[in-house]
Amino acid sequence: MSNHVTKVFHKIWGGFAIPHKPIRFRWIDFLLVLGIAGLFYGLVSVEREWTGVWYPPVEIDLNPWLLPKYTFFSMIRGIIAYGLSLAFTLVYGYWAAKDKIAEKVLVPLLDILQSIPVLGFMPGLVLTLVGLFPHSNIGLELAAIIMIFTGQVWNMTFSFYHSLCTVPADMRQVASTFQFNWWQTLNWIEVPHAAIGLIWNSMMSMAGGWFFLMISEAFVLGHHDFRLPGVGSYMSVAVNHGNYPAMVYAIISMVVMVVFLDLFLWRPVVAWSQKFKQEETGAQFVTSSFFLNWLRKAGLLQYIGGVFDYFINAGTRYLFSKKKAHAEEFRRIRFPFHIFVWMMYAAFIGLFGFGCWKLSHMLQVLSLSSWTHISWCGCLTLLRVLAAVAIGTLWALPAGLMIGLSPRLSRIFQPVIQIVASFPAPMLFTPIIIFLQIIGVDLGFGSIALMLLGTQWYILFNVIAGATSIPADLRESSRVFGMSRWQRLKNLYVPAVFPFLVTGWVTATGGAWNASIVAEYVVFRGHTLTARGLGAMISQSAERADFALLTGAVLTMSAIVVIFNRIVWRSLYNIAEKRYALE
Amino acid sequence: MLESSIKNNSLLCELKDIHHRFVLPNGNQVTVLTDVNLSIFREEVVALLGPSGCGKSTLLRILAGLIRPTAGQVLYHGMPLKGVNPGISIVFQSFALYPWMTVLENVEIVLKAKGSPRDDVKRLSDKSIRLVGLAGYEEAYPRELSGGMKQRVGIARALVVEPEILCMDEPFSQVDALTAETLRAEVLDIWSCAERNPTTVFMVSHDIKEVVSMADRIIIMGNNPGSIRNILQNTLSRPRNSRTLEFLSLVDRIHHIITSAIIPDEEIPITTAKVPSEVLLEPLPEVSVNEIIGLLEFLDVHQGEEDIFHLAIQIHKEFGHLINITKAAEFLDFVDTPKQKILLTELGKRFVESDTESRKRLWKEQLQKLAIYRRILDMLRKAAKGRLERGYVEEELVLHMPQEDPVKMFNILTSWARYGELFAYSEDTGYITFE
Repeated sequence: MSNHVTKVFHKIWGGFAIPHKPIRFRWIDFLLVLGIAGLFYGLVSVEREWTGVWYPPVEIDLNPWLLPKYTFFSMIRGIIAYGLSLAFTLVYGYWAAKDKIAEKVLVPLLDILQSIPVLGFMPGLVLTLVGLFPHSNIGLELAAIIMIFTGQVWNMTFSFYHSLCTVPADMRQVASTFQFNWWQTLNWIEVPHAAIGLIWNSMMSMAGGWFFLMISEAFVLGHHDFRLPGVGSYMSVAVNHGNYPAMVYAIISMVVMVVFLDLFLWRPVVAWSQKFKQEETGAQFVTSSFFLNWLRKAGLLQYIGGVFDYFINAGTRYLFSKKKAHAEEFRRIRFPFHIFVWMMYAAFIGLFGFGCWKLSHMLQVLSLSSWTHISWCGCLTLLRVLAAVAIGTLWALPAGLMIGLSPRLSRIFQPVIQIVASFPAPMLFTPIIIFLQIIGVDLGFGSIALMLLGTQWYILFNVIAGATSIPADLRESSRVFGMSRWQRLKNLYVPAVFPFLVTGWVTATGGAWNASIVAEYVVFRGHTLTARGLGAMISQSAERADFALLTGAVLTMSAIVVIFNRIVWRSLYNIAEKRYALE
Repeated sequence: MLESSIKNNSLLCELKDIHHRFVLPNGNQVTVLTDVNLSIFREEVVALLGPSGCGKSTLLRILAGLIRPTAGQVLYHGMPLKGVNPGISIVFQSFALYPWMTVLENVEIVLKAKGSPRDDVKRLSDKSIRLVGLAGYEEAYPRELSGGMKQRVGIARALVVEPEILCMDEPFSQVDALTAETLRAEVLDIWSCAERNPTTVFMVSHDIKEVVSMADRIIIMGNNPGSIRNILQNTLSRPRNSRTLEFLSLVDRIHHIITSAIIPDEEIPITTAKVPSEVLLEPLPEVSVNEIIGLLEFLDVHQGEEDIFHLAIQIHKEFGHLINITKAAEFLDFVDTPKQKILLTELGKRFVESDTESRKRLWKEQLQKLAIYRRILDMLRKAAKGRLERGYVEEELVLHMPQEDPVKMFNILTSWARYGELFAYSEDTGYITFE
């Protein structure tokens, strides 16, 4: 018995000793331990906060010294939501890529989910979850996290699914020749292949998720004021009180959080992911991260990595070792898909049926005139969305070209823009509205500016990416043949970035629709400003708890978005792919 | 006397004391061209010939005004050039056609850029397309065409503006051999028509036969750093037959010039016994271990000796690169290069005949004789914790090989060392350590 114990001990010890290089613990490791301890303490206080007895509304103290705590709460929500998104992405993307039948349903569904305004579903979600956990904050916390999750997840899932579908045939053949099991294939081939795309989309997603922070932390439904402690709710309280210093503090702490995440999470991850690059593309930028270099030099991380590897390996060896003996049987060893798949199908059909039945009940209340009103509002908002995208393009296209075509400018601006873009636009609504009131613009036009605030970055990012990928010889030829600035723009730059521009437009319109819900209906210093439009209608009906109108408006918005995507963007995509793709 | 005065009158472009340096992203400078002086006259075909990385394409771009040289002057009709050279158009190695435009649009756009009247645009484009034999393909998109056809569009586009100088940057290297042959003849036909432009063709090439068959003047360049090594007049009468004795002897002469300029027979001071920290060392050629071993294997099969240019043809390698491989093998004493012959040395023969383990041992021994490796090993022995940081090694490389890109040099250094198991480098940590 004791012999057995020593054996196990040795085995584990062997696992712990996996990093063969001599490990020296230094002050870096000490700091890491401190950091982990601090994080642990923070999580404990989050847990205490969550299970705390809930009585609405939570009071938000505008004392700036409490902001670090609030910001930390918000950050944890974002990170948990990101964890959920990642898990969802891996399962959903893998399923869609592997199951040919499911693919036919899952991919279009994903397309619809990513294009409908998720904010519209917030009221239902909050009520359901609060009802489920009536005596604690858990329901509300979950609702907030799910809202942030819905702002993050879709493009990640698409990217992962797409990567899985485009794993090169020879890599797959390696896997089948050497009889990798599904876990090994996933771990050694599919995830590394998908890593870079997934990481870039994760960064975008995290930024997108913050967009919902303010709304999901401070949500008003009927007479209920659902509020959670966080930097978003701090901001909304500050706005309600018209407390300008507090607004500035909130904005500063948000910026600090975004920069912190960029430096300590995304940069290291991006720098690390460069090892997954498959082709040698000469003059690409190399991202470096001081934090990653620092971590690599720390012994502790290697140690933890070694332990982690050991358990993963031991686990998979245990799972697959028995079956590996029989080569015949080997082929059939897969993830137990069938049961899982059928369960998912059943859940889907059940949910769908239930939803339809509920919906039809709810919508019976709406008269024909309210439908025409909804459609009219839909048209107004569509115009605003298009105006916002057009204005965004007008400045982002030349700016993006200028930055992308000059290596010097892109080195300077790329990191700055990344940080600016992840700042949640709704937090800046107040200063803009004040400005708009001063120059005498009403919210009908002003909401366009608010929508623009969140969506222009998508266009800018894509144009920069497009401009950096224009081949040098095409640029040289335009100079040799003496094209003027305008001719170069018309004949070379715009066509070359067009495919990227379309991608930017699609993302930007999606963002603008979502933004319309908060941009057409703004609470400011105790009174509300509204613009006629579908977004305002959703916000208003949610606040009045008019669920029939809310549902109708959300459905209409979803329908407009999906139809617009199918007709306009899809055909532009086709043109871009056929005519403007650079070989 | 008379001849020189005619030449003076027909002077088109002049490059005076051109120096050019690139600044690498890490701030280091690399000298690409040094001390280049060159005149280009009317009614001639000038060809730049040289190994890869000698700055030929850079020189062409300086002449075209696309790149401003770090120092020196470009004169066009006696006037200093400001911006892009108005008398030049370029045929690009990679065609550089706009994929979203048809053949016709690709040609027309150049005239529109010049501001030609609409009637001229149509007429001249048609004429130019007809001239290169693309009539009927006007509405095709570049992706529908083969490489040779694409380059015809490239030529039509370059010619449509009637440039005085037609610059071609390795124009036929991405076109199959037979098409290339046809295109060469066609370009010469177009050039030889005296009453229209281009009056001069300025081309960059690494193909000796191509150069001899096309050029009146052959400018041979060398690298480290790029400079003109020799200028040859080619007086063979046109059309030139590549099987005549005169043709072959000129090819041979160029072979000889290149080998003596780039791999001289005298000993290179790379294995100096002691290496003070600021001595300049010959850079390591940019070749892989496998290429060097491949060369040795090939020589072994061919009785241990081969002519370098014949070899280049046999193994379908650009001679510029083959010269680099040969140079690397010579550094390691595996081959000897009397004139343009490559001879397998005793050591080289022993290496080829050994098994993998002994090969690695021999390789290691040879590396240890090279000054730069001795220096690095010395540093490694003295280093705290027995490891050297990458940046530190790169600084050392800059010190000894100031003309070179230290990142490239570092990569070659470590890849050679890895084969000989001389030291190890981990990209994750960025440290060099002993095995």
